[in-house]
Amino acid sequence: MNPAIGYSALILVSVSTALIGFYGLRVSRTTSDFYVASRTVRPWWNASAIGGEYLSAASFLGIAGLIVISGLDALWFPIGYTAGYLMLLFFVAAPLRRSGAYTVPDFAQARLESSTARHVTSLLVVAVGWFYIVPQLHGAALTIRTTTGLPSWVGAGAVVVVVCLTVATGGMRSMTFVQAFQYWLKLTAIAVPAIFIVLMLSGVTGQQSGPTIPAGTELFPPSNPPSLDSAYGTISLMIALLLGTLGLPHVLVRFYTNPDGAAARRTTLIVLGLLSIFYFFPTIYGVLGRVFLPELAATGSPDATVLLLPGRLIGGLGGDLLTALVVSGAFAAFLSTTSGLVVSLAGVISQDFLGGSVRGFRIAAIFAAVVPFAVAMVTDSLALAGSVGLVFAFTASTICPLLLLGIWWRGLTDAGAVAGMLTGGVLCATAMIVGAQLPIDAPWRSVLTQPAAWSVPTAFLVMVVVSRATQHRRSTTVSRFMSKLHVPERPLDVENPRTSSS
Amino acid sequence: MNVQPLRPPAQGRVRVSAPRTLAHHIPSGTSVSQEVAEQTAVGEVMVRSLIRSQLRLALVVAAGFVAALLLCWALVLWLPTFTDWRVLGIPAPWLILAVGVYPLIGTCAWLYIRAATKNEDRYRDLVDEK
Repeated sequence: MNPAIGYSALILVSVSTALIGFYGLRVSRTTSDFYVASRTVRPWWNASAIGGEYLSAASFLGIAGLIVISGLDALWFPIGYTAGYLMLLFFVAAPLRRSGAYTVPDFAQARLESSTARHVTSLLVVAVGWFYIVPQLHGAALTIRTTTGLPSWVGAGAVVVVVCLTVATGGMRSMTFVQAFQYWLKLTAIAVPAIFIVLMLSGVTGQQSGPTIPAGTELFPPSNPPSLDSAYGTISLMIALLLGTLGLPHVLVRFYTNPDGAAARRTTLIVLGLLSIFYFFPTIYGVLGRVFLPELAATGSPDATVLLLPGRLIGGLGGDLLTALVVSGAFAAFLSTTSGLVVSLAGVISQDFLGGSVRGFRIAAIFAAVVPFAVAMVTDSLALAGSVGLVFAFTASTICPLLLLGIWWRGLTDAGAVAGMLTGGVLCATAMIVGAQLPIDAPWRSVLTQPAAWSVPTAFLVMVVVSRATQHRRSTTVSRFMSKLHVPERPLDVENPRTSSS
Repeated sequence: MNVQPLRPPAQGRVRVSAPRTLAHHIPSGTSVSQEVAEQTAVGEVMVRSLIRSQLRLALVVAAGFVAALLLCWALVLWLPTFTDWRVLGIPAPWLILAVGVYPLIGTCAWLYIRAATKNEDRYRDLVDEK
């Protein structure tokens, strides 16, 4: 592939991101702007920003790669990624916004009145964030390696540098603009080449010379015959994805920028629409990748399918332009997810350890990005969709029970929450580490590599049992806090205090 | 990063920093009648019933969604053994998983939001009547 395409795409995305970041900086005036965009972001902006932040390397590259390897079964991933927001809407969106807490640890402290619970939650949030950033950096390394031939660290390093610059200078308000822009960039980048390719293959363009699907090829292979193992795998994956989304730190922090609980719900509904539209396209790449790029599955980098397909099928200048578009979309995916995570981690780290100043936020942001960079450099890239799936299983077994029981059950105590989170976290992490060491055909392997089906219920159970045993530790303000979570806000006369006060 | 303010700063620089937790002062979207209602025994009962009805609603819609998802799964597994039904050359299991599930998700979300808003309106009416 022509390296110039990769370079120009990278520069294009970085420059436009920086420009929008600086534009946002001019309107970012107060500390509250910096942290939560003063909670005045409108649902459409916010939803685009959430979509932009959420569609990571796993969505942009990973799903198509997984379809190349495992066909129909891979389609459960985008369903889970989307439906996770449904669970978020049902159980978390509006109450969490009303809680007024900025991070999950804030929520833990306000709900449980315990700084131990707060610290344990902080540690888990930071761990989740770091392990979510690592696959993004792997994706960036893969993209740069595939498109320019440069060594892996350049791609990951470029993402870390751009993210640190935008986050440390712009804060949350400019991030919202950047993320919203990046959703639409990603959608364009994945949709336009896909539409071109489909039109070309179906012969609408009237091209005679272009590639065609070889006669007799089955584009859509049937699913593998159902087995107990694959059924367990699917169920466990769905539990992880459905419940994991509502514990992701970078998703939660976005909900605090809504003006009120009802707006938080509206935002989620729009997010669901945006995600549904996006997830239509990776399937097209995956299906065609099976036919036209079968060698990728053999060489172990099926995640490059999305990057290589337009160039393979459409030659000449058109192919180069579409490839540049796709590469810039992929880069937008790494940038936006990483910066979303870095913002939320920086929020947690600076509030817990650095006194909550803007300076502390900036130091924390750099710290939050550099550690996963080191991890990404010493680890090997797994399949992107799969490794992100593991992070979902981990949040589903730790932060998800805290949020669900904290929001809906008065009986939760700090001891119960800490015990449940630690049990879930330790079980889940141990199972994944042990499972990864087992040979691929070991009988209990999938039970260990996909632990969500049993680690999530165990975490809930431990939380409930320990809370019942320590009833005397119940927070004294639980009643007040519960009504704050669930009682609807008055419709305010003035919707946006910023514009009215000036 | 130095941004020069347009107007001279007020006397004595104040260091702004985020409070350790923002949870203790939400922007007040609650009215006096609500505050009062929550502190009384009757208010407490009303809040509890609001929470119960919201939880019941969330669980019912979630259960419905999971049931529909299981149905899709069963269709994907068993449909190919009965029929090779295709639309535009795409087999039914692929259509169901790649396209069909998403409108289902949207519908569940829309139904939930409508019902949850209705629950809250009912609660507001109760508080105002008091």
